Amino acid sequence: MNVKSIVWGLLILVLLLMAALPTVMVIAFGMLPGMVAFIVDRTEERSATFCVGGLNLCGVFPYLLELWTEDHSLEMASSQLTDVFVLAVMYGGACMGWMLYLSLPPVIASFIQVMAERRLQQRRKTQSDILKEWGNEVIEDANLGAGIAPAPVAEESQKETAAA
Amino acid sequence: MAEEPFDADKVDSAAPPKGGSIVLRDRFLISGDKPLPNLDSPNAQAYMAEDRRDFSRDLFALVCSPGIPPRTDAMRRLKSDPGAGALELVDWGSAFWPLIGRRTVVIIYERPLGGRVFEQIKNNRARINEYDIPRKIIQPLVAALRHMASINVPHRAVRPDNIYFIDEECQEIVLGECVTSPEGFDQPIMFEPLERALASPAGRGKGSMVDDMYSLGASIVVLALGVNPIERMKGEDLLFRRTNMSSYATICGNARVPILLLEPLRGLLSDTPNERWGLDEIEKWLNGLKQTPQQKKAAKKGDTPVRFGGRDHTNVRTLAHAFNRQIPEAVRVLKDETFHAWLKRSAGEGDLSDSLKGFIDTSAFHKDGMQGSDEFLVARCCAAMDPLGPIRYKGVSVYVDGLGPMLAMEVIRNGNVQILTEIVLRDIYQFWTSDRAVFMDTVEAASVFAQVKAWLTNNVAGQGLERALYELNQGLACQSSHISDDGIIFIEDLLPALDHAAGQVEGKSKPTDRHVTAFIAARFNEDILPHLKALTAQKESTSVIGMLSLLAFLQWKLKAEPVYGLASWIGGLLGPAINGYHSRTTRREIKREIPKLVRKGSLPDMFDLIDNAEKRQEDQNGYADAVEEYAISAHEIENIEGTGSELTEKAEKIGQKAAATISIITTMIAMTIMFITEML
Repeated sequence: MNVKSIVWGLLILVLLLMAALPTVMVIAFGMLPGMVAFIVDRTEERSATFCVGGLNLCGVFPYLLELWTEDHSLEMASSQLTDVFVLAVMYGGACMGWMLYLSLPPVIASFIQVMAERRLQQRRKTQSDILKEWGNEVIEDANLGAGIAPAPVAEESQKETAAA
Repeated sequence: MAEEPFDADKVDSAAPPKGGSIVLRDRFLISGDKPLPNLDSPNAQAYMAEDRRDFSRDLFALVCSPGIPPRTDAMRRLKSDPGAGALELVDWGSAFWPLIGRRTVVIIYERPLGGRVFEQIKNNRARINEYDIPRKIIQPLVAALRHMASINVPHRAVRPDNIYFIDEECQEIVLGECVTSPEGFDQPIMFEPLERALASPAGRGKGSMVDDMYSLGASIVVLALGVNPIERMKGEDLLFRRTNMSSYATICGNARVPILLLEPLRGLLSDTPNERWGLDEIEKWLNGLKQTPQQKKAAKKGDTPVRFGGRDHTNVRTLAHAFNRQIPEAVRVLKDETFHAWLKRSAGEGDLSDSLKGFIDTSAFHKDGMQGSDEFLVARCCAAMDPLGPIRYKGVSVYVDGLGPMLAMEVIRNGNVQILTEIVLRDIYQFWTSDRAVFMDTVEAASVFAQVKAWLTNNVAGQGLERALYELNQGLACQSSHISDDGIIFIEDLLPALDHAAGQVEGKSKPTDRHVTAFIAARFNEDILPHLKALTAQKESTSVIGMLSLLAFLQWKLKAEPVYGLASWIGGLLGPAINGYHSRTTRREIKREIPKLVRKGSLPDMFDLIDNAEKRQEDQNGYADAVEEYAISAHEIENIEGTGSELTEKAEKIGQKAAATISIITTMIAMTIMFITEML
């Protein structure tokens, strides 16, 4: 992040503070868990940020709407931010985000693992069928790389070759 | 009850009990219990024969010895074009002869009723005085030889005991058979021209009418005298004497030859082939025309002898003959200055001495090569010392056109064929033919040898020594160990013989060994090179298919009968060819089909099953697809399996992304709903 961007960021922030200070206050306090997630999440995909931040925003948005539609003032913003229920809704959303982020990947991973095992079995069966029909010479002619281990030799084809 | 005659034409029928009769070509009944020893040939036994379509004909059969290649080409020509003055060759064929328990060539001849002329004269049953000889003996024999010359079949067996009276009254003379052995093979040395007599009996060569004229001359002497004047002289002594003194002097020297015959005998017994009387000269003489008398020429002799091999030699031709038998000693003599001094001063062969020295120098120059060997040097020197003699090499003497029969005899008798092949492969014949350009067609001789060399150096099946053997000996039976006892000389008999042999085959031996393939290549007039190339292939499956295709082609072209045994034999060898298919299903299908085709005895059908182009293409395509599919599967498996915890990490990342996506979507939906609700 270069100086130019920081300057531009600060300029926008100052303008926002001047134009919509109550909104900025609610967002700044309400979106704290999302910001924490942004800081903590160092991955390229920023999945945690999106997950936590998304649901955090979901909790903040009703109070922002209230602020914008009823009374866009510092009092209103202060009353919202000092209300425990409001904070519980905002931070509860973020909490849901964290829970989603922590619980969903293992479930999906297990599902993918099962799918992969099934695909693996199918492919191994295909290979075994090929060897039974076309013989072990297929392994040689397939010209596989050193890291790819051939499937087990089909016994029936071996017996046939010997008999022939 | 009389024993049923055996149908001798069937190759594949079981051998009948020994003894009894056979029927040749469903026509000629040959009685094994009625031998005719008076009509025997040196290598064929005579038996009574009957023509079942014409009982008035007087016939006899000559049963050839299986170990001697007969002259089948001469038989064909003599049968199709019989001439006056010789026994009529009525028919011939290959037949099972019960007395020897194997197949051999049987020839049906017109039976001479008066017996052998020489025996009748000796026993005073026939009287021919010296004035009758031209008309009664020479004229019919010359007529017979004239006819044989016209069909390009030199007789090469003119000798007193092979001349017969055709009639019981002993008035008409005919020449006997000449086809039961190779040309000149049965001729005693006395009746063979000197240059050919110096060769081994089997290697005397096809020869020409020039050689028959010499034999005629020698036979006339014996018949005119009623006795052989040199009966006691045999083998090497006779050759030595004939070489030293000339054949005429040796045979007629001490005999009381009628003066009337002196002129023709001098012409006929000349030892120089291009000076010898031919048919024209003898016919002119018979017609009373005086010929320019031939000068009696003694062989060139030295004043003092040279001792070599236990004999005193005064003639370089006898020395050449002796040199070939004792090569190390010969080399020592050739390099000895005393010998060259003898050549120049005593034998008057200064030019020859210089030539021999030249050969010795050449040999020394090539001392590490084949041309530097003692054997090559002696062969080269012998060719120069005896310009009319046979090829001499490592103790073997063979005339240039006698290589084929000699090769055949060596193979049949398990002799040494290596020396004969070396004569060809080491170009020994080349200097031999170049020395003989004066009296023979050296270009033709060289071209025959070049062809033989091409066969010998070719490793493709159907070539090699065996090909040369069958090409040079049209009458030689196939020597394959599977069918050697069957005496197969015709290509039509080969498949039935192999079919019969199938029952006795042990192990995994193939029907197409080197002899069978060479026999087919030599006798089958079709282009079989692609089959032979396949047969020679290193890959066993290709070789087996080559074998099947060759035999199937043979069966198809010859329209041969079904061969159940051979089909079964080949069926057992098809494993590698079946394994040439990748698909196990196709292999199983072919294996299921083979027994059905074996029962049909059809090799073409079997070949079509094994080497069907469409089926093979399908198999190839299927195999290529299978290889591709296998590789794709292997790569996919690799991707799925990954390495270590990579899959777990990947799954976790996917889960995290899914969580983020769910979160974003939920937020957007919730925000939209809230916004709309607020607006309403």
